[in-house]
Amino acid sequence: MSDASATNKRAQREAAGPYGKIGQTLNELDDRLGIAKGGRTFMDKIFPDHWSFMLGEIALYSFVILLVTGVFLTLYFVPSVATVIYHGPYKPMDGQRVTEAWDSTMNISFTVRGGLLMRQMHHWACDIFVGAIVVHMARVFFTGAFRKPRELNWTIGLTLLILAIGNGFLGYSLPDDLVSGTGIRIAYSIMESIPFVGSYLAFWVFGGNFPGTATIPRFFILHVLILPLVILGLVGGHLFLLVRQKHTQFPGKGRTEKNVVGSPMFPVFIAKTTGFLFIVGGITALLGAFAQINPIWQFGPYDAARISYAVQPDWYMGFLDGALRIWPSWSFMGFGHTIPLEVFIPAVILPGIIFNVAYLWPLLERKFTKDNEIHHLLDRPSDRPKRTAFGVAVLVFLAMLHIASSTDVIANFFHLSLESTLWGMRILVIVTPIIAYPLAYKICKEMQSYRGGGKRKTPNIVSRTAEGEYVATPTPAYGEDVGHELDATPVPTYIEVEPDEPVESGVRTVDR
Amino acid sequence: MSDLEEHRTPVSLNGLSEDDLRLQPLAKNPQTVERVIAVTFLFGTLFVAAFGASFWVNAKPWILGATMGAGLFLLGVGLVAWGKYLMPRGPFVEERHTLANSDADREAFAAAIVERGGSVVKRRKMLAGILGGGMGIFGIVALFPLLRSLGPLPKGTLFHTDWRKGSYAVDQTGRRVNVGDLAIGSIVTVFPEGTENSDRGQAVDQTVLIRISNQNFTTQKGRETWGPMGYVAYSKLCTHLGCPVGLYEQQLQLLVCPCHQSMFNVTNGAIPQFGPAPRPLPQLPLYIDSNGNIRAQADYDQPVGPGFFERHRVTGSKL
Amino acid sequence: MNSSLFRRVPLIVASGAFVAAPLLLFAGSANASNNILQTTRKNAGTPNSTIVVKNKSGTVIKYGNKYITYKAPSSKLDTLGQALFMENCASCHGSEADGVPANGTNGAYPDLVGLGPATITFWIDSGRMPAKNVAAIQARRGQPALTSTQAVAIAAWVNSLLPGYPDIPTPHLKNANVADGAALFALNCASCHTIEGDGDALAASTFSPSLRNIPAFQVVEAIRTGPGNMPRFTGNLSDQQVADITKYVTTEIQHPNNPGGFGLGGLGPVAEGFVGLLVGLGLLMLVCYWIGDRS
Repeated sequence: MSDASATNKRAQREAAGPYGKIGQTLNELDDRLGIAKGGRTFMDKIFPDHWSFMLGEIALYSFVILLVTGVFLTLYFVPSVATVIYHGPYKPMDGQRVTEAWDSTMNISFTVRGGLLMRQMHHWACDIFVGAIVVHMARVFFTGAFRKPRELNWTIGLTLLILAIGNGFLGYSLPDDLVSGTGIRIAYSIMESIPFVGSYLAFWVFGGNFPGTATIPRFFILHVLILPLVILGLVGGHLFLLVRQKHTQFPGKGRTEKNVVGSPMFPVFIAKTTGFLFIVGGITALLGAFAQINPIWQFGPYDAARISYAVQPDWYMGFLDGALRIWPSWSFMGFGHTIPLEVFIPAVILPGIIFNVAYLWPLLERKFTKDNEIHHLLDRPSDRPKRTAFGVAVLVFLAMLHIASSTDVIANFFHLSLESTLWGMRILVIVTPIIAYPLAYKICKEMQSYRGGGKRKTPNIVSRTAEGEYVATPTPAYGEDVGHELDATPVPTYIEVEPDEPVESGVRTVDR
Repeated sequence: MSDLEEHRTPVSLNGLSEDDLRLQPLAKNPQTVERVIAVTFLFGTLFVAAFGASFWVNAKPWILGATMGAGLFLLGVGLVAWGKYLMPRGPFVEERHTLANSDADREAFAAAIVERGGSVVKRRKMLAGILGGGMGIFGIVALFPLLRSLGPLPKGTLFHTDWRKGSYAVDQTGRRVNVGDLAIGSIVTVFPEGTENSDRGQAVDQTVLIRISNQNFTTQKGRETWGPMGYVAYSKLCTHLGCPVGLYEQQLQLLVCPCHQSMFNVTNGAIPQFGPAPRPLPQLPLYIDSNGNIRAQADYDQPVGPGFFERHRVTGSKL
Repeated sequence: MNSSLFRRVPLIVASGAFVAAPLLLFAGSANASNNILQTTRKNAGTPNSTIVVKNKSGTVIKYGNKYITYKAPSSKLDTLGQALFMENCASCHGSEADGVPANGTNGAYPDLVGLGPATITFWIDSGRMPAKNVAAIQARRGQPALTSTQAVAIAAWVNSLLPGYPDIPTPHLKNANVADGAALFALNCASCHTIEGDGDALAASTFSPSLRNIPAFQVVEAIRTGPGNMPRFTGNLSDQQVADITKYVTTEIQHPNNPGGFGLGGLGPVAEGFVGLLVGLGLLMLVCYWIGDRS
């Protein structure tokens, strides 16, 4: 290398400024877009570090995986109910009359390279996606993060949950296998049960009497285009509001209503969250590799006259199926009409009530507590025993409905009679939430009197006066903690004081 | 307060001195952590490469998944560890500015909308009315054909099946069921001849044919001739949600719906004795012709399957 | 349905009639009504087997076709069978094997006379009889207490009281079509045994047993005799169709093809939900717990 070229390079570097090529590129961008100031602020954006703030990220990254694997699957899936004869590599189904939808799903599973893995990852990611939304919502609910100014984001999140459940059901139906076909049949009957418009609605959605010809193509376009677009848009809105309103945070050292404490966007948060995206992808791929899901080759194609026992929907539809099972057979007949209450109430009214209460919860709580303040610091669940108890009761109720969707499996597993299991679930669905509410309430109250449980403790200093009297003096609390609401009262810890040493130097805290 | 405690107080990112503890990594021994992360990245990369190789040779699905999963997982763990242990430990603080603007700004905003809009609309109420009406009508007009063209109207299709007077009961292969075919306690799914391969046949006309005894069997008053030679036939569509009621317990003489476990007693006209189903399964009147074939006397006397709003209208007092 | 089934309709009709005839005899006698239904079908009542083996005295000891052959137990075993019956069965079913009349109550001991050898051997070979728990509403499969020869001997003696059908079957699965079996299984069997053959709870504390560990000849015996609450499949399933189902059960049900990993016990979405939430979401939440702060 000659001296001349080295000088030349140095000259180039100097011309480029202190930040080199990247700096130059950013300058060029700023000339056109004016991003420098906002970009700097964004790089400095602080994300709270508490682990429970990452639950929403599980949902977000599962959704990313759903999009990626879903795009792969659309390349091979044929959304058609046209009849073909199956002649694929899976011999036990050879020669069966099947739909193209089932045929192409078999093709994805057995012929397309990596197809089965993608299918299984897609399905697992869906199960995790909905589950993560529920857990994330529970965190938001129990910590009061939905309060003003975040009511709108709660509404968006709830809508996302409903859309995720709906899109999950549509996707589950697409392979047109025996199990999912039964699910579609039930969905048709639920639509039909709606008074006044039911049979019209069912005919329009299905393009005629069951099974109709339009189901798979329509479900497909809803599943791969329309609902994902809506979900994507709402996720964008959800994140925009999150950035605009900034994160909530748990109360604690240095944390006030007027700041956010945590790690900056770049580089710490970026590294952690990108790593987490990979981890979500990795765990989904491992599940897809080792845990078989929805083996449609064992179920066979759908045929309206066939049925398998012990078919349950995917888990997020379980509460509906359970409600349908345990609701009594009361049908209304009169005034020249039938209202199938045995279907309409558990499958339409009940979820309607649950989701509407959830939608209205921020308003309801504001009405009852008359709390119209803006909140950025979170509640600990024990601080709001009534809300927590209500949430626990609802979750227990839903969990019981979910368990009720597998009464047959439970009866078989524990060698019980089907009838007594069903009656047991009917009772448990009502009784357990009634027990759960006061229990949760009481536990919250107990935790309140044990304030600071799980929090950093400040030690008391026990000293002996010259008269031999022992005096306990609390050490000062952290300066910033004083004064803001919901602050935890420190719990005294034992301090051993060496008898003859001066108090200042002989303090030894004992770990609890 | 110790030095460490001092440094736990969050500060703003800007204006920290380089030796501030908050800019130091969390790891006690950064070199070791760095080495561990390097190994993690290395193995992650190897697995990802192995995924590529196994995709190339079309390995089994579990190998594809295991290599991809392990690769992504290790890369992710390494990256997270990098961020958690080797990057500035913080905590840092960011000021939160109130979103709400000053009262003057709010007022100006509201005034802009209300005053301008009001002055324009107030003077042109008629125009606004017509425009609103036009858009409303367009909305309805646009919605109606869309809904209407999605599918046919139900009309009478929900009230009838393809069973007719004289329809042969055939099994799914199209074979006519003969009186000699079933032993007592046997069950077979039948269709009116000609529909056994159609979607509608399978969805609507499907019927279970059960042999209960050797003699003519009467399930209910008024159905004395419906069960010749112990053959009784019920719609296979559950009256709860339309699942095929294909589960027959021959000693208990119960048809059970596999979906939600409604139980129908076949000896008394399939009256539901347990579960959520509200109505008995409709019974198909049968006769046996001179060749011994099982045939239908007529269509079902009521709509089959789950309930719907208009169901009661046609069947009237029959049920 | 499989298109190839249509091509075989004549065959199905023929073999169906063949099976129907002896089983009607069986059905009639089992219900204490000895009227054998006369049908107008041409070959009714005459064994239409491609395989018929008679002994010296002209009695049919083996019949069937290339899908299933049925063999009557040798009458030489009668004496042994009687002794075994008296020792193991007579305490409930009576020394005449006529039991306590089944009046629909649980615990009534059925009349075994005329049920046919396959019924007797099925219950003994599957370990359900002699009953381990007489009060149980439904006996469970277990280790057989008697050897298969002893079972055949008991069947021989009971059959000698009043000969019945079906005889003890031997399926020839190499001639069976597993794909047709899958379709027939989905239509006829899955509604009780589930599509993966795991069985499940049924009404009044009964249950459909798992099919995961049943030898082929017992699958045929169960289909043809309808043990307990299971419907009998007689004229509506030909020997060929029964063999098809049996092949599907003994291959795909008992050794399922799980290219996607572990089969999760065949519980379907219930198990999938557990794994998805507990393993998938649970692991991810642990990872969150690692990544984030805990205070």
